[in-house]
Amino acid sequence: MTLILTDDELALADSVRRFVADRSPLTSLRQLISSGEPYDTDVWKQMTAQLGLAGLAIPEEYGGAGAGLSALSVALVELGASLVASPLLGCVLAAEVLLRLDDAAAKRELLPQIAEGELIATLALASSAGDHVTAAGAGDGGVTLTGSVSPVLNGAEADVLLVPVAGDAGPVICLVRADAAGLTRTRLTAIDHSRSLARVDLAATQARQLAGDAAAALSAAANLANLALASESVGAMKACLDMTSAYAKIRVAFGQPIGAFQAVKHRLADMEKSWELGNAALRDAARAGDEEPARFAAAASVARVLLADAYAEAAVDTVQLHGGIGFTWEHDAHLYFKNGLSNKVLLGGPGEQLDRLADELGI
Amino acid sequence: MSEDFRARARAWLAANAPRRASGDDEAEAGSSGQAAALAEQKAFQAKLCDAGFAGITWPKEYGGQGLTSAEQIAWSQESRDYDLPTGAFFIGLSMPGNTLLECGTEQQKKRYLPKMLRGEEIWCQLFSEPGAGSDVASLQTSAVRDGDEWVLNGQKVWTSGAQYSDYGAILARTDPTQPKHNGISMFIVDMHAPGVTVRPLKVATGHSPFNEVFFDNVRLAADALIGQENKGWDAAVVMLRHERIAIGTMSSPRTSPLAYESLRALAAGLGRTSDQGVRRRLAELYARGRAVQLFALMLREETMAGRPPGARGSVAKLAGSELGRFAGSVAADVLGDQIAGFDAAELRAVTTAIIAAPGSAIAGGTSEIQRNIIGERVLGLAKDPGVDRATPFNQLRVGTQRTEGKGPR
Repeated sequence: MTLILTDDELALADSVRRFVADRSPLTSLRQLISSGEPYDTDVWKQMTAQLGLAGLAIPEEYGGAGAGLSALSVALVELGASLVASPLLGCVLAAEVLLRLDDAAAKRELLPQIAEGELIATLALASSAGDHVTAAGAGDGGVTLTGSVSPVLNGAEADVLLVPVAGDAGPVICLVRADAAGLTRTRLTAIDHSRSLARVDLAATQARQLAGDAAAALSAAANLANLALASESVGAMKACLDMTSAYAKIRVAFGQPIGAFQAVKHRLADMEKSWELGNAALRDAARAGDEEPARFAAAASVARVLLADAYAEAAVDTVQLHGGIGFTWEHDAHLYFKNGLSNKVLLGGPGEQLDRLADELGI
Repeated sequence: MSEDFRARARAWLAANAPRRASGDDEAEAGSSGQAAALAEQKAFQAKLCDAGFAGITWPKEYGGQGLTSAEQIAWSQESRDYDLPTGAFFIGLSMPGNTLLECGTEQQKKRYLPKMLRGEEIWCQLFSEPGAGSDVASLQTSAVRDGDEWVLNGQKVWTSGAQYSDYGAILARTDPTQPKHNGISMFIVDMHAPGVTVRPLKVATGHSPFNEVFFDNVRLAADALIGQENKGWDAAVVMLRHERIAIGTMSSPRTSPLAYESLRALAAGLGRTSDQGVRRRLAELYARGRAVQLFALMLREETMAGRPPGARGSVAKLAGSELGRFAGSVAADVLGDQIAGFDAAELRAVTTAIIAAPGSAIAGGTSEIQRNIIGERVLGLAKDPGVDRATPFNQLRVGTQRTEGKGPR
C-alpha cells in the first residue's frame, strides 16, 4: 500500500480538475445561488455520462467502473476544491447501501441507473434528535412509512430515497419512490450554497422493505460518508490555502506584502500543516477502503475528525486573512466558510465521530 | 531495494538487539537507549557497523554501506520496536556526520566519518548560545586567526552529549565587521582540548539532558575548518536541514509515556475510560498521532519517488511538537487531580513526560521558526523584513539587553 497517488489517480485528478475549471468553476455556483436551482443538470449529465463519476465505485457488473474508493476520493477532492454542487454524495451513499444489502432486484434495477447518472438516489439518514420513522405492514412485502427525516442530501430532487427505519430486530431499510403518495419534500435553507438539503415527511407512504443486513449497510455508508466528506474538505481546504497564500503575496500593507508579517505567515503555516496532516490521513483512509477493509472504519473516522475541524478553521482564517474584502459577498471566502460549517456536521458531527472512533478503537 | 536486506536486518535485530520494554523513562531527550552505559553503546555500535547496518546510505569509502534510502527506510521500520543502545551516536551521525559528508574535505571525511560510524568517536553539535537561540546567526563565540590556526572563545548551550563527546561541530564568528550571516565559520573542535569546560544544564523536569560548554582560548588547528572561512552559515543551513529531518521523521515509540497506547492503558488502569470526555480526548489523540505518522510515511514515499521533502520537513517537526503538547494535555486530563499530587511511583514517567513536552517545540528550531520556514519556503511568502541583515555584526544589538532604570528597550 502506498499513500501517494498512482499515475492512474493523477490522471483522473487531472481530468476532473480540467472538467471543473471548464464546466463548473466557482462562478457557476453564484449562478445557482441566483437561480435557486439545486445543481446544474447539464453539468451533472457530463459528470456522469462523460466522466463516469457516479459509477466510479460501483462494480462493473452493475454498470459502474469498479475503480474503487481511492479513485472516488481523488475525484471528490477536485469537486470539493471548486464547491461543485451535485447530487453525487447522496447517490454514492445510496449505491453503497444497495451494494451491501442482499436485494438482488433492487440492485439490478437501481445501480445501473445510478451509475449512468439517470437516477438520483439518496440515503435519508435521520440526524436531528426527535426524527424518527415508523413502519407498518401493508401486505405484499410492502410497508407504509410515517415520520420525518432531516436534513436529507438532495432529498427534494431524489427519484428514490432509501429510508432506514428502526425495527424490533434492528434497523431495516425501505425504498421510497418520488411519486409515492404521502411523501412531502421541503427544501431547507442550506447554509452551504453548494448543498441541496430537504426535510422528508412521510404520511403512510408506500415503501418496499429491502432484504439484507441493514445495520452492516448503514455502517458501511457511514464510513463512506466520512471518506467522501473528508475528500471534499481536503480539496476545499487546499483551495482556501492557495487562495489565501496568493493574496498574502500581492496585498501590501505597511510597506510589505502581508505574508511577510508573522501574524499572517504563521496562520498560513498552520493551515499548511493541518492540510498536510489531513491529506495524509485521507490517503490512508482511501487506500484502506480498497485494500484493508478491516481498518477502513477507523481510518475514515480519523480523516473526518481531523478535517472537520481543520477545514472549518481554515475557511474562517481565509475570511480573516483577506481582511475586509474577504467578508464581502463578492469574495469567494464565505462560500468555503459555509461549506466548512456544513461539512463539519453533516452525517454525524465531531462529537459523534469521536464516540464512534473510540468504539472502533475499543477504548 | 532487495528484500534480502530487509530479511537480513530482521534476522540480525532478532538475534542481537533488545526489544523495547514499556514504561521506560524517556522524558530525557532522545531514546531510552541513552540510559545504557557508554561502553555498552560503543560495543553495540561497532557490532552494528560491522554487520552493515550503520551509515546505510553513506559511501563505502567513508565506512558506509553505499545503499539507497529504500534500505534506510526498511531499517527504520524493522528496528522501530527494538531499543537499540545507540542514543549517544544519534546526534553525531545525523547532524555533524551528514554535514561533513556534504561540506567536509576529503581528508576530513576519511579521518572522521569511519570512526564516527563505528562509535569509536562521539560527536556533538555546538550552535546555540545564551544570546543566540532562534536567531542563531547572531552568535558571539569568536574564532580569531593566529597564524595558520584559530583561537576560540565563548559559550555554547543546550549541547546534548557534550559530556561524553570527543569532537564537536561548532559555529564561531570569524569576521565581526561583516553582516551577521557573512562572518561565521564552522569548525571541528576537540572536546578534550585544554580550555574546554562542560557543565550539565538542569531543565524543568529536574533532569540534566543538556550541557553548557565554555571555550577559553581553545586552539583550533588549520584543518579544523568545515567548508570555507566566513561561509559557515551555508554549512549551518545544511546541518539544520539534517536536524529537522532527523527530528521530524523520528518515529516515536509506541511505549513512550505520552503515546496513545500508553495513555489508553493509563486511563483504563485509573478507571477513566467510562468518562465520555476522556474517551473523546483519547480518540482525538489517536487521530492526531496517526496523521503525524502517516505524514512522515508520505514524506518517505515521496523521497523514494524522487521528490525529497525539502522544507516540508518543517511541517513534520511542527506537527510532532504540537502532537506532544496535545498528548501532554490529554495525559493531564486522564490523570485528573493526580497530576497535582500522586503517590504511585508508576505515575512518575508520565508526569515527567508532561513537563518535558513543551521542550520539543523549542529544541531543534522553535515552532515559530518552523512556521517561518513553512511560510517562506513551502508557501513562498515574503521573507521577514529582517532589519539586521545588512548591518555589520559589531554594530548590532544581540541577546538580552536591559537599560538600567528604563526597562527593556
